[in-house]
Amino acid sequence: MFHLNGASVTYGSTVALDSINLQIRPGEAVGFVGLSGAGKTTLFRLLNGMVRPTRGTVQVNGNSLASLSLEELRQVRAQIGFVHQDLSLIPNLRVLHNVLAGRLGRLSLWQGARTLLFPPRSCVNEVYEILQRVGIPEKLYQRTDRLSGGQRQRVAIARALFQRPKGLLADEPVSSVDPARARSAVSLLTQISREEGLTLCVSLHNLELAREFFPRLVGLRKGRIAFDRATEEVKEEEFQSLYDLGAANGGGTSDREE
Amino acid sequence: MGGTSGADSIQPVSLRRGMGLRRILILIILGAGLWAFIQLNLTPADLIPNPGGLQVAGKFFSRALSPALTYEAEFVPANTQPLLWKAIQAAGTTVVFAAAAMSLALVAGLILGFLASTAWWVGDPAGGRSATVVFLRRSVAPIIYGSTRVLITLMRSVHELLWAVLLLAAFGLSHLSAAVAIAIPFGGTLAKIFAEMIDEAPRDVAEAYRGSGASSTQVYLLGLLPRALPDMIAYAFYRFECALRSSAILGFFGYPTLGFFIAASFENLHYGEVWTYLYTLFFLVTVVDWWSGALRKRFAV
Amino acid sequence: MSHLELEIQSLYRQRPRNHFVIWSGALLLTLMISSWFIGDFHISDFLSERHLTNLSRFLGELVPHPMHDQPFSLTLTIGWVGELLWENGLAATGVTLAISVAAIVLAGSLGALFSLPAARNFMAPDPFVASLSESRQGWGLLWSAAMWGTRAFLIFARAIPEYLWAFLFLAILGPTAAPAVLALALHNLGILGKLGAEVVENTESSGLSALRGLGASRLQISLAGLFPLTFSRFLLFFFYRWETCVREATVLGMLGIVSLGYWIQDARARNHYDEMFFLVLLGAFLVLIGDLISALAREIVRRYS
Repeated sequence: MFHLNGASVTYGSTVALDSINLQIRPGEAVGFVGLSGAGKTTLFRLLNGMVRPTRGTVQVNGNSLASLSLEELRQVRAQIGFVHQDLSLIPNLRVLHNVLAGRLGRLSLWQGARTLLFPPRSCVNEVYEILQRVGIPEKLYQRTDRLSGGQRQRVAIARALFQRPKGLLADEPVSSVDPARARSAVSLLTQISREEGLTLCVSLHNLELAREFFPRLVGLRKGRIAFDRATEEVKEEEFQSLYDLGAANGGGTSDREE
Repeated sequence: MGGTSGADSIQPVSLRRGMGLRRILILIILGAGLWAFIQLNLTPADLIPNPGGLQVAGKFFSRALSPALTYEAEFVPANTQPLLWKAIQAAGTTVVFAAAAMSLALVAGLILGFLASTAWWVGDPAGGRSATVVFLRRSVAPIIYGSTRVLITLMRSVHELLWAVLLLAAFGLSHLSAAVAIAIPFGGTLAKIFAEMIDEAPRDVAEAYRGSGASSTQVYLLGLLPRALPDMIAYAFYRFECALRSSAILGFFGYPTLGFFIAASFENLHYGEVWTYLYTLFFLVTVVDWWSGALRKRFAV
Repeated sequence: MSHLELEIQSLYRQRPRNHFVIWSGALLLTLMISSWFIGDFHISDFLSERHLTNLSRFLGELVPHPMHDQPFSLTLTIGWVGELLWENGLAATGVTLAISVAAIVLAGSLGALFSLPAARNFMAPDPFVASLSESRQGWGLLWSAAMWGTRAFLIFARAIPEYLWAFLFLAILGPTAAPAVLALALHNLGILGKLGAEVVENTESSGLSALRGLGASRLQISLAGLFPLTFSRFLLFFFYRWETCVREATVLGMLGIVSLGYWIQDARARNHYDEMFFLVLLGAFLVLIGDLISALAREIVRRYS
């Protein structure tokens, strides 16, 4: 579904991503690990179509991003759900309205406004069902800022799901939540992706969670892929090398690219 | 200077310098004040009223706790409404003028505030706009922005009473000119503040909506504006309170708001009536002030 | 209706609704719309023949006097402007400026003082310490009364517009600059006192309660703890209110005191609309300068605090 070939993203003089080669098949669940600043967020923004590659190609579902017009790019974006680190919800709105906003990408301005202000019953039903799946159906009409952090995260996930996406990206969904909630959040993401056949990419700090839930792990270090293989095959030193701040590494395995 | 002098010797240097800076600043400000008083030829003697003024003051302030409940004139035409009813009516007119002015000011403030903000210039991070749009954005947008800012400044720099005087000279006594006189500077101020609030609103939701494929207009209206809206509404309410005060003062120019009756009763030496109207105004302003505070609390919660 | 929809309906009925906000909004909207029908605004009249001829006559009279029947001449304009400035314009501008500065300094110093007895945490029996019991009630009542008294005074000072205060003071004190200065100072004292009290109430009280724990008196806590913490914020409010004082000082002259407003009113009474217009522009120019200085001052305060 995602196919990156030598993709690089440069902001001015800063190289955020350097020659990324990556292939993700539809329905896969991949965990991304690495320090903040290693390029995980930029990579996700590439996958989402928010940023175009400065060099190389990025193909989402067969469409090369570089050649798309803005309109077409928006359609690509609408197919990928993104759960942000800071959740990006409107605090004083009800949960219902925050979730409904997920589908703006598929609606015109007029339809979008109408859906948000006077949501049709089918949409409300759908939102309710999604909230059931993430576990907070009774919060449908609650104000979002009255919810706990973990519940708000589920709202953000629900919003991404309401897009009816083909792929789901979650950027550091566990950083601001306590360990127990973190686990259930990641478990929820993987479970739903499996049930819906979504392609799932989650970036994490927590290596245990990454190892537990994801069959495939990609390590990022300073804008490059440090390793990309099945979880069982990743060695301990490779994990450690990600968190090495600039020191040259002994083994040759850590910098190998796929 | 009292309690702090003993502690001075053990404070870190930067804090001491900070305190020195503050003291210098205070001295400068007090000095400026002193200069101003000297410039105006004001001495403490000027604060003491002359015998005539003292009489007026005495008579006036002695009525503070006993405002008139009926007219104080010796002769009152038979079909005049009771005083209290007139006070309420005057208050009502004051509110009506202020509300009309605010409705105009809000419209102007929203439109001009949008044009004077830079938030709508922001392009898509992935680029991809046609060359015409990019060109328009680079050339036309700054012009719109600049001219709107100039217009707003001009609107704001003239006090509403001066606008009232100008419109009075142009059109004579007309209720519409009263509302417009308040609406112009208030619209300008609303526009400036709204623009600032929009530009400073957090962009997180807007970016998230963009990431799910929303168009730029959707992003602006549904993702950016709602983040700024609570503050904008709170400020607009504060402006409404100010509009009430300005509307009352317009009465001094002949409009049938509270100021007119205050001035008239004062000149007729009916000090009790003056206090009645004063308390009415005070009540009006306090109610709106309390209302706006209550709203702000509910909004924030 | 399916089971799902029944659940949704019951949730909908139980949803939290902010009645106060909704009714407030409806009331305000109704007010703003209906005001146009209640207020005798005669909008159609406005565009009538008579009004438009009046307007064009007025606009014609805005043209400076020397150039009424002649083509535009720069030297004449400059001469006319110079004359106006020399006669009254500059002096009046200076007076307006002085009034604004005198008033704001008075309001600022008194406002800072008054903000203390208006702040809840300052006036509490045990200042800046969150008290769990009202054990010293007799003492507390006195302080409490003092606090509410101060607040009432500040609210009253604020609620009455500056123009009104000036009108009253003018009758009592006579036509010097004093009524204007006092009126502006009193009104702004109310505002700065309230803002100051809010700042004091919102200050991080941990350091201050520590001082209290050491046995410091209210005076000592204010000077050592409160003052450094709140000075910058108060200064920002101070300069912001100065801007407003400049605007109001211009206009107060219309009551008969010698600021720009006096000459504006004077010109209007003599039907010299060109002079009046010029003086209004002069006032706007003064306001602009004041805004710039205030913005600069506030920027400096923000940078160095």
